Amino acid sequence: MDEWGEEDKAPKSFSGFVELAAGVRLSSDPVINTDKTLADLRAQLQWDKDFKASRVKFTADLYYDGVLDQTKLQIRELAWQGSLSSIFDLGEWSKKFDIKVGQQVLTWGTGDYIFLNDLFPKDFQSFFAGRDDDYLKAPSLAAKVSGFFDWANVDVVITPKFSPDNYINGDYFSFFSPFAGANVAPGFEVSSPNKPSSPEYALRVYKTIGSTEYAAYAYDGFHKSPASFTEFGEPYFSGLRVYGASAITPFANGLLNVEMAYYDSKDDAQGRNPLVPNSQSRWLIGYEQELVKNLTGSAQLYVERMSNFDALKANSLTAQFDPNKNRVLFTQRLMYRALQQTLTLNAFNFYSTSDEDGYLKLSVDYSPVDQWQLSGGFNVFYGKDRFSFFNQFEDASNAFVRFKYYY
Amino acid sequence: MLKRLRAINKTASFVAASLALLITVPLQAASADVKADTNIDVASIVKKAEKAAYYSGKDGRSDARMMIVDAQGRKQMRQFTILRRDVADNGDQQMMVFFERPADVKDTVFRVEKHVDLAIEDDRWLYLPALDLVKRISSGDKRTSFVGSHFFYEDVSGRAISEDNFVLQEDTEAAYILKATPKAPDTVEFSHYVVTIDKKTNLPILIDFFKSNNNYRRVEAVKIEEIQGFPTVVRSKVSDLESGAYTLMEFRNINFDLGLVDDVFTERSLRNPPREWLN
Repeated sequence: MDEWGEEDKAPKSFSGFVELAAGVRLSSDPVINTDKTLADLRAQLQWDKDFKASRVKFTADLYYDGVLDQTKLQIRELAWQGSLSSIFDLGEWSKKFDIKVGQQVLTWGTGDYIFLNDLFPKDFQSFFAGRDDDYLKAPSLAAKVSGFFDWANVDVVITPKFSPDNYINGDYFSFFSPFAGANVAPGFEVSSPNKPSSPEYALRVYKTIGSTEYAAYAYDGFHKSPASFTEFGEPYFSGLRVYGASAITPFANGLLNVEMAYYDSKDDAQGRNPLVPNSQSRWLIGYEQELVKNLTGSAQLYVERMSNFDALKANSLTAQFDPNKNRVLFTQRLMYRALQQTLTLNAFNFYSTSDEDGYLKLSVDYSPVDQWQLSGGFNVFYGKDRFSFFNQFEDASNAFVRFKYYY
Repeated sequence: MLKRLRAINKTASFVAASLALLITVPLQAASADVKADTNIDVASIVKKAEKAAYYSGKDGRSDARMMIVDAQGRKQMRQFTILRRDVADNGDQQMMVFFERPADVKDTVFRVEKHVDLAIEDDRWLYLPALDLVKRISSGDKRTSFVGSHFFYEDVSGRAISEDNFVLQEDTEAAYILKATPKAPDTVEFSHYVVTIDKKTNLPILIDFFKSNNNYRRVEAVKIEEIQGFPTVVRSKVSDLESGAYTLMEFRNINFDLGLVDDVFTERSLRNPPREWLN
């Protein structure tokens, strides 16, 4: 056992990695003049400081994005977290509250790559381009207050300045415009008068009974992508309220999860406005289990049911491109680990029976030592209609490779 | 990073390894099918070994590190802190494992509610800090690697004694040597194993796994110290005798009977770790 050598030094307060990533389109996109879909030179730095009962944590990515030819800084976390009692000693009750304030990534809900009650910002451009899954969740500047009680636990998140998704806007990938009747890549940003000025509020109440975890959710804010249009045809984020619930429990030899959410599209309560998404109810049921040693499989069924579908149909400006009343989506995941878990293979497939389209995400990660990791894979969009949810991104299909070195 | 975390998934409840864990005792539960052909009570030996290996004190903490060495001699490190609380002696346990190294799993946390009732699967969670995600983990084959090491989940969480038939093979001055044969050989990769239990400490100090007559795998206690009166394995080793690969595990800063309360072992501690017990 002498090869242990000396005791480790005190843990470094700085850590991070540098990463080189590249991706190319599998076929060219007529409205985007580059085949590059990913070209990152990235450095991530993490620093944290622990106090007696609280912590400050900082995580930032500085990267050169070779697709856009821009250097960017993303502060993924710069937040203070601690018990309320560590700032104000207000007696026993203040020990029941934790606070996290600052730039932070937030996640809740039970879906795998499918989000119903999680209205925190997502980065779909990174997800489609094959960046690490960590980047699917984008940070927001928010305050989170958590209360822990015998009857249940409560999280309240206030995001003072609306944080949208990093939606597909044409920067890297084109999308279908029903007004143009074709794919477009405007690289647009929503202009400031159309940006919401009011905060977002999110609430979760959760409790575990036996081995089953139950949660109820509420959200008051805006659609996270600019799926609505003003009367002048400018995209904007229309108002949205969401109410939902979820449960997850061991079942058979695996885990079963169910989740539902009602999306109340505040700017189109009757569903008559063709420029604003209708209200929807969303349903998810999922199951995950190890199939054989080192091979895990999971499947989900997800349904979006549009409210006031008849009103939508009656008022539609682009009826030929309208979605179905029910969007039905199945997902399957297979994950296999080999070589003493240094090699991981992942296949995730979305397939919609109602749209007859899908998205297959394949990835391989190899890391035989602690210092580096090599990853690669494909994002493949397929389907029948050029305007459907996934198949509009057919020309976004890509292959990617990444090399990460930890320092 | 998900790669390594997903890898961890499986074996989250290694936790059970606990402070005491140290070395694997594939013995649990009291009702063994024991064929004792002398007047030595094998079931009692097994139960004492379980208590010595897993249930020292009412609770405990330990810093742990692992060195994983593959057949080519390449090394990986894992470093983490374990908190454990017993719901009952030889009974249910609560565990949290807080990862510090390597960098890509820093601040990742496992939480396990271990149930000794075979009909109830352990409840397991994984906290992924980069996504702020608390992920419930499904149960899986317990004879797969824990965080990429040569320790199996089952090595550290304990294999139910009711799954094996035990025979006393040898009774030496220093140790009992038992042979265990699985009742459901289809569910495991070994045909039998031989465990050496030290009479002085009641700790299992050597386990050799066999495929017919081929001893392909070994788990051993390398160093034992007495901590607060409890004999404790502070260094252990698992060897893949076929490839030459192995994993060393070392426990430091061990304390028992800290008075850890139920509240420490909750989802709250995943996102906001109980620092007073960690540093």
